[in-house]
Amino acid sequence: MMALLQQIEGSGLSQWVRQSGSLWAFPGILLAHTYGMAIMVGIIAGIDLKILGLVPALPLTPLQKFFPLVWVAFWLNAITGTILLAADATTKLANPDFGVKMAFIVLAVINQRLIQKRVFGDPEIDRRPFTPGAKMLAVMSLVCWLGAITAGRLLAYVGNPGGL
Amino acid sequence: MIEIFSNTSHVHLLLNHVPTTAFSVALVLFVIALVNRSETLKKASLAMFFLIAAVTIATYTSGSAAEAWLRGTNAMTELPPNVLSDAIHEHEDAALWATILMGLTGFFSWLSLWQGRSVKRRPSWSVPLVLVLALASFAAMSRTAYLGGHIAHVEIRPDVVARHKACLALVDEEVKHPGSVPNAPQNCPWQTAVDDVARAQGTQPAVKSTARELGDFVIGRTWMWPTLETLHFVGLCLLFTTVLIVNLRLLGMITVVPYSAVYQLLPIGMLGFAVNLITGMLFFVGIPSQYNANPVFYWKIVFVLLGGLNTTYFMLVDDAWRAGPGIDAPAGSKLAAASAIFIWVAVLYCGHMLPFIGNAF
Repeated sequence: MMALLQQIEGSGLSQWVRQSGSLWAFPGILLAHTYGMAIMVGIIAGIDLKILGLVPALPLTPLQKFFPLVWVAFWLNAITGTILLAADATTKLANPDFGVKMAFIVLAVINQRLIQKRVFGDPEIDRRPFTPGAKMLAVMSLVCWLGAITAGRLLAYVGNPGGL
Repeated sequence: MIEIFSNTSHVHLLLNHVPTTAFSVALVLFVIALVNRSETLKKASLAMFFLIAAVTIATYTSGSAAEAWLRGTNAMTELPPNVLSDAIHEHEDAALWATILMGLTGFFSWLSLWQGRSVKRRPSWSVPLVLVLALASFAAMSRTAYLGGHIAHVEIRPDVVARHKACLALVDEEVKHPGSVPNAPQNCPWQTAVDDVARAQGTQPAVKSTARELGDFVIGRTWMWPTLETLHFVGLCLLFTTVLIVNLRLLGMITVVPYSAVYQLLPIGMLGFAVNLITGMLFFVGIPSQYNANPVFYWKIVFVLLGGLNTTYFMLVDDAWRAGPGIDAPAGSKLAAASAIFIWVAVLYCGHMLPFIGNAF
């Protein structure tokens, strides 16, 4: 296993990300990762806060038009995240905080699918108050994304921060 | 022109007129608006408070950069002959409080502008709160300006003037009663008074400025910097909630929703900005040297100011409100919406690149 990770870290792409010094390498990929976060979490948080009762005048149904943008941002971050992981595989995968981040993201994605299916799937959503179940999903979504952001930021500080 | 902008001391001297002179004009207009019950003038003066608060951010940071420019990278480097080191720190501490009050004034001015459009009647606390905060800001900013004058204008610094007058009294005494004062000076050069004061400062134990104490609090705790960074990311996401949903509506994405509905999202974005202003200022006060001579930070502040202008457009120009349910937004508001997205994407770019293009870690 360790040999495989070292091989990934030694690949041309990983070395370029780590060592090239180009603004397109580590800085650029991390920048794309940050934009992806801003778009995805930004829009999802807006929807969650709407479900929790802020912005009462805003109808929920039309906001589903933002889902394609949310999922494009998600896949952007899955790809850039994988590249960043490949560049630093041995340290990141040995860091328990990385597992925490992934767990939060898996939960957040499942939760988001549930919101799209149950809350947006209900044709009556904008005609009656949100159910406690819908509000629970919104709270879970905010908690999971907050957890993912926190664990992500802390990757630079806890465990063995490594070279990146 | 370029030389003015590359010398941060000069930039600070230009900007410091905005929170003082421009703010007093805005305050007078605001009081007139309250006396005459003029809604238009009230909106105009609230918008001025908001914009001046935005410029105050740049004024504060350029002040720190100005000191760094005078000293170079070495804190022990000699300052210009008429600059008193202690005066810089007294001014900086006053500026910290004045900037905090000005930030609160700007935030609640914006909220009052927003409420003026979103609710039928503004809550009764809104305008009085802005008045109290504006008066407090004016007092704090005046004190800051007064202390700022002492940095280079030694002729108005009380301790320098006191020493100069003491010398003049000796000369006077010697003229009236020759031989009464042994070793009386022939005349009283100002430089001697300045040197006396500077020497007296040197013999006192150095007092740590409040700004430096706050900065040491930020960098002295291992959990502090990561926590602030995480909050900065959370604030950024909330800011983007508003920037994306409101502006994409104006650009034609969810046209069934009227502008009046997405308008309710604006305080979420402003809250995100407030979180990032507070955490950002704490980073700045923590390690100013990362930002003082950092060109990317310079640009970040420029884009934040443009963001303030952009927000003011939406507060003062009613263009976007013509976008009712299913109605496309007018061209003017589309341009403002596209600028908003560009500006905040640029702010994020500059923030991210601080360590990669600039010299932050």
